[in-house]
Amino acid sequence: MISPAAVTKRAAPVLACIGLLAVWQVASLGLKNDSFPTAIEAIRAIPDILGDKESLINILASLRRMAIGFGIAVLVSIPLGLLMGRSRAVAAFFNPLLMVIYPVPKAALMPIIMLWLGVGDITKTLVIFLGVSLPVIYHSFEGAKAVEEKMLWSGAAMGLSPLQRLVRIVLPAALPEILTGCRTGLVLALITMITSEMIARQSGAGNILFNALDMGQYDTVYAMIIIVGAMGICLDAVFERVRARLVRWSEPQFDMPLSFS
Amino acid sequence: MKVVPSRSSEWVGPVTSQKRASAIIEIDRVSQVFQTSARKDHLALSNISLTIEEGAFVSILGPSGCGKSTLLYIVGGFVSPTSGAAKIKGQAITGPGPDRGPVFQEFALFPWKTVLGNVMYGPRQQGVRAAEAEAQSRALIEMVGLKGYESFYPKELSGGMKQRVALARTLAYHPEVLLMDEPFGALDAHTRTRLQNDLLNIWERDRKTVLFVTHSVDEAVFLSDKVVMMSKSPGCIREVIDIDLPRPRRRNELLLDPRYQKYIVNIERMFDESDEAGAPS
Ligand SMILES: Nc1ncnc2c1ncn2[C@@H]1O[C@H](COP(=O)(O)OP(=O)(O)OP(=O)(O)O)[C@@H](O)[C@H]1O
Ligand SMILES: [Mg+2]
Repeated sequence: MISPAAVTKRAAPVLACIGLLAVWQVASLGLKNDSFPTAIEAIRAIPDILGDKESLINILASLRRMAIGFGIAVLVSIPLGLLMGRSRAVAAFFNPLLMVIYPVPKAALMPIIMLWLGVGDITKTLVIFLGVSLPVIYHSFEGAKAVEEKMLWSGAAMGLSPLQRLVRIVLPAALPEILTGCRTGLVLALITMITSEMIARQSGAGNILFNALDMGQYDTVYAMIIIVGAMGICLDAVFERVRARLVRWSEPQFDMPLSFS
Repeated sequence: MKVVPSRSSEWVGPVTSQKRASAIIEIDRVSQVFQTSARKDHLALSNISLTIEEGAFVSILGPSGCGKSTLLYIVGGFVSPTSGAAKIKGQAITGPGPDRGPVFQEFALFPWKTVLGNVMYGPRQQGVRAAEAEAQSRALIEMVGLKGYESFYPKELSGGMKQRVALARTLAYHPEVLLMDEPFGALDAHTRTRLQNDLLNIWERDRKTVLFVTHSVDEAVFLSDKVVMMSKSPGCIREVIDIDLPRPRRRNELLLDPRYQKYIVNIERMFDESDEAGAPS
């Protein structure tokens, strides 16, 4: 048996998408502007893009850069954040550095990075890396800081070394917080991926989008926006499933009547 | 009357019917000063000296905030004292170790582990094979009355159940000294009595040294060979009282025993006196 509540939960995102497309369709028909194709026209252009080998290679190249940038960022940021959260010296060393980098839009660093590293994969992956790192470091840091001291003491009494305590107590205890950071990081990876391809126009999903814009192929522009948006939604949904599974032990047991989730 | 009040600093050997045992823990003129956020020094423990014999059951009794937990942390090696020293088997305590097993007031269970996972954690860390560790842990979980809850996560347990898991988790790695910080504080009267009996049974069996912090006078008298009475501001030892009651102890027998009643009345009176004296705050 599927409860009505479960049906609503499943159907809600679909209904929201349909609603959005309907509004778009009506608005576009009403405005009759060349640069604003209808939703149906945009959707019709999607199979053309996905069927084109060149475009597909471009999109996959984008995804690959994103995966590498995201992966390296997570691998570096989690240990760094955890160490900062547990060691005052490490935090004192890295904090000023991060405070300087934090407010700078990572895309604004692109021109400099391009000068040094060219317009290829390395530059774009590096920008993605920078974009993902900060939220992951921040959340790992906060998560590690909040770990109950008595839990670490219990581990120490059982004979865990400081490194073992970091990996086997601080890491799992901070995991819910870390994964919240990773989820933000994933969305930022997508954003920086498109922005980087917008600035260093050479290949990728962003490149298709902006080339189409230059050539006035507005249905392709909108189709690409839908594709990129769908990619983001899918990635986020998959990640959320993995996350929920990993931290089942920490999820609140009761629905909060006043929460909006 | 068998109550033998003696000043802590002069106190040396056991006066109980037990055979003379060697000292396992020696606390020598330990003081602990905390820096408070108001930038004032706070003297939590003042010049504490205490010797605990191997295999003894010692309770620390005192009002809230008198430094009972702090003293336990120092013996555990989690906190190093501002001055003075603590020793275990003649060796200076420099850090935590599996010879001393803490059961914290706050439980400090690993929330990402199930009940079984929590209890197995220590033995696994000590290199016990998985199957063996699991069998031992299941037996311990049954002993603390949580059979059927092995695969529950801590968030799915009540406060009293968490407390019992914490106890089982520490017993699982066989520390020589148990450091228990109000382990039964959060339990209902019934479970509390049951666990007191279980603890005594375990203790009768393997005669581990137990340092047991509690608020409850009758719990302290019922369980202990020796009751250390502390007073507040600054935390210091007021009185060390030997409890000379026969073992194994049965609750229903003890409750009728005039000697038991006398210990309780005397200890409570001593606390009342110190209240009347007006503890500086
Ligand atoms: N980390 C700390 N920083 C500052 N002061 C502390 C710290 N830990 C304990 N204290 C102070 O030391 C004193 C003793 O604390 P402790 O926790 O040992 O008391 P306790 O006897 O265990 O009390 P309770 O019975 O309520 O658990 C208290 O006055 C407390 O304010
Ligand atoms: Mg305490």
